[in-house]
Amino acid sequence: MIVKMSRVEIIGLKKYLERIIPLLHTSGYLQIDDIREIPDVVIQPFTPTVGMQEEREEINLLIANINGLFETFSVYHNETNNTDARADDFTFYSIKNNVADITAQVQYYNARKKTLQDELISHSKYIEMLNIISPFLPESSKKSGNATIRALIHSSQARAMTLLANQLKLLTHGKFEMISAKVGEETNAIIGIFPLELVSQVDGFMKNEKVTQLTLPEEYTYLSTDEALQHIKKKVELNHEELDKIDESMQRMAAKWMPLLKIWQLICKDKLDENEAYLKIGETEFTFTIFGWIPKDDLKTLEDVLRKEFSKEVSLNEIDVPKELQSRIPVKTINPKAIEPYEHFVKMRAIPSYGDIDPSELIAVFMPIFFGLMVGDVGYGIVIMIAALLLGKKVKKGLLADIMRFLRIGSIWTIVFGVLYGEYFGTLGEKLGIMPLWLSRSEPESMFTLLIMAIAVGVAHIMFGLLIGAWNAWIHKAQNKLLERIGFFVGILGILFLVGSLTSYLPGGFTILGWGVLAIGLITLAISMGKSGIFLGPIEFVGLIGSIFSYLRIAALGLASVYLAKVANELGGMIPSVVGGVLIAVLIHALNIVMAVISPTIQALRLQYVEFFQRFYKGGHSPFQPFKKRVYTKVEL
Amino acid sequence: MENAIIAVAAAFSIGVTAIATSLAQRAIGSAGVGAMAEKPELVGSIIILVAIPETLVILGFAVAAIMLMGQ
Repeated sequence: MIVKMSRVEIIGLKKYLERIIPLLHTSGYLQIDDIREIPDVVIQPFTPTVGMQEEREEINLLIANINGLFETFSVYHNETNNTDARADDFTFYSIKNNVADITAQVQYYNARKKTLQDELISHSKYIEMLNIISPFLPESSKKSGNATIRALIHSSQARAMTLLANQLKLLTHGKFEMISAKVGEETNAIIGIFPLELVSQVDGFMKNEKVTQLTLPEEYTYLSTDEALQHIKKKVELNHEELDKIDESMQRMAAKWMPLLKIWQLICKDKLDENEAYLKIGETEFTFTIFGWIPKDDLKTLEDVLRKEFSKEVSLNEIDVPKELQSRIPVKTINPKAIEPYEHFVKMRAIPSYGDIDPSELIAVFMPIFFGLMVGDVGYGIVIMIAALLLGKKVKKGLLADIMRFLRIGSIWTIVFGVLYGEYFGTLGEKLGIMPLWLSRSEPESMFTLLIMAIAVGVAHIMFGLLIGAWNAWIHKAQNKLLERIGFFVGILGILFLVGSLTSYLPGGFTILGWGVLAIGLITLAISMGKSGIFLGPIEFVGLIGSIFSYLRIAALGLASVYLAKVANELGGMIPSVVGGVLIAVLIHALNIVMAVISPTIQALRLQYVEFFQRFYKGGHSPFQPFKKRVYTKVEL
Repeated sequence: MENAIIAVAAAFSIGVTAIATSLAQRAIGSAGVGAMAEKPELVGSIIILVAIPETLVILGFAVAAIMLMGQ
């Protein structure tokens, strides 16, 4: 049901402005209309102070920081809503300080983590290369007082290295020992051992000759290869331990702060809303004006709140809705809890227009019936009901929860139509002697009845939609729409008379009457469409007949479902082993049930959206979004 | 022989319309998912757009059913 809305203006002295905005925010009854978007308003929009602009930037920055922390912590911890903290415990400054502290800690941990990870990458490369070289090291390299140079070179450079070794021997007066070993297909390891006191001379020579040494970090330079390897391995181990500790700390921080960050984020958004609300209002030198929308039922309550707070210093007046704002009236719908899922389905299509009929209740009736008509199997209905009940307990919100709630009712209709069709896991009921109360869909001779039933459902559904559409057009005094919908309705009536008389369900006289009524319908339709109606009218009418045929999907999906169930039973029966046969049957039935849930749900929804709504539903208004706090708190900046 | 021809004709009636529907839905569906990624609130309109070509296969089914029932 669409709630009646009132347009109001609140006028008061500017000195009360800083009190009224938080009051409206806390009370949460009013949707403030942005004065900059209202046509023909002579009042100047409010000019924010520099302080207000700075405050807005500050809040935006804080929200961005909170979002960043949220993203970082979400890697370590699943979001949780459990917190004992109350929103009232925080002020804007306490949030800001807390966020700054947490950010600093997170930045430190992230920087340290990056350093450790970089070290691990370089150390793993050293370990890899030293492991290659290590087996070829002579005993002399392990003696204290000796230094080692290491290099990995391409095989083609081996000869040049021998010449280089000779030169080094000369340089060190014969105290240089060089070992070369093949460590890969085209790679040689070169190890040179010499007295430690000659390090600077050898290093200088190697640099002059442009030989790239395997240089270890400074702390390992004067260690032997084995000692360096051991130290690096130890360092890697320590790095891993520290990384684990950092991760543990981050996990603890995430678990501690994430619920609070969520509250802080909402508090900051509320504060931002409050700041931005000032931009939507109008001002004169001494007064302010706020235009807005409020549900008619809440008008008196807001009046009382304002009178209590400001006596007669601030006035609230209900004003007429100008013609140019009719299309901007926000829409609020209220429906019983059972209708809520269907309300969401309607809003998925479009928010209803103000003054139109809210079709939520209508589709709450039709959708489950159509679902039941399509699936129509007692066994499947019971399985779907159990699944919907179990899953519905786990999923409380969102589209999936809405679908589960729809399936609970849909499964009841599935059982009802299952009894009428005599289907208990397909043809299993028939085999056990349970006969259909109406028709058996698995019998080929039932197909005609099934098709007629589907078309009859379509005719009834569309004619009902046209009646609602005509009523809507009557209320809104939309003459052409009224004529169009009456034309369609009368045209279908003419077709029904014709079909009835031609199939001998009605007396022969109805043929002439049918032609006459059809002609009246088409003429009415043509008139409603103006000059081009003579061409467009019949085309539109053919389109409407196509829409009615679209309901054949009710029969088509039902047939597909029943024949697959039949296949499951017969294939299961063909397996010699009882266990194997049951298993095969269960598998195919399970597949059929999954398909029976998905496809008929979509098709039932599609019939409402495309065929039914088209007759009366326009939608397209914006939803009512009251200026309301997300969390209730005292936030002082 | 006549029955076989009717059966083949019915199969063609539903098969060809099913292919036509799937081709249309492929194009609409992929564009729809792209649009939905940008604007999730379009889901209702996209369901409609995807569902519109299904009328083709339903009409194919109707023709096939009429042929089979006329045997």
